Amino acid sequence: MPSFTAQVPNLHVIGPVVEVQVAVGSVLEGVLTSNGEPIPTPITASAMIDTGATGTVIRQEMPGQLGLNPVGTAMINTPSSEGVECYEYLVRLFFQNNVVIETLAIGAPLQGQHIQCLIGRDVLAHGVLIYVGYTNTFTLSF
Amino acid sequence: MLELLEKEQAAYEEHKTELLGRAKGKFVLIKDNKVEDVFDSNMDAIRQGYERFGNVPFLVKRIQELEKPLDFTSNLLGV
Repeated sequence: MPSFTAQVPNLHVIGPVVEVQVAVGSVLEGVLTSNGEPIPTPITASAMIDTGATGTVIRQEMPGQLGLNPVGTAMINTPSSEGVECYEYLVRLFFQNNVVIETLAIGAPLQGQHIQCLIGRDVLAHGVLIYVGYTNTFTLSF
Repeated sequence: MLELLEKEQAAYEEHKTELLGRAKGKFVLIKDNKVEDVFDSNMDAIRQGYERFGNVPFLVKRIQELEKPLDFTSNLLGV
């Protein structure tokens, strides 16, 4: 079972943040390859694992940087708004240790500059998250 | 309104009753004003969308009476 463990100083303050590479989905990569078009370079992002998020979110500028077009829409509820419509994009998330998850991600603004991605329960549905507060570590296995 | 998928969303609403009657719970692929096909999974529909149209906007949507919103408890989301 591929897995990785990350250590974050002050885990309880910063949260379970991990570096990921966000890339276009595998189907689009195949289509671009067969058309002889360039494959967009994956984007490095700081991602927060968020058990309070139904779905995965990428910062709204990221699809443009990856040359992605929407493949769907989703309605979202947040603490400050209800029923906001957002675009959905098919992306691959590359974690450490060759852990790769393909999922639909919502493009939306994220507050602050330190987080570019929220890893939601759609990704966690595929694996095991172990959060060890007293060692400031967390492990994600798939 | 999400402008890039405005025509597709209008087409979904126009055909929603008929789609609910024949394919409730499945996933519809819509491009422009046309309902292209219905699939058992969203990934199958997305794959077909990319293969038929390439890297352009298209709509894959679960056929259901009421769309359930995704919930986000964190205030990191700026909406």
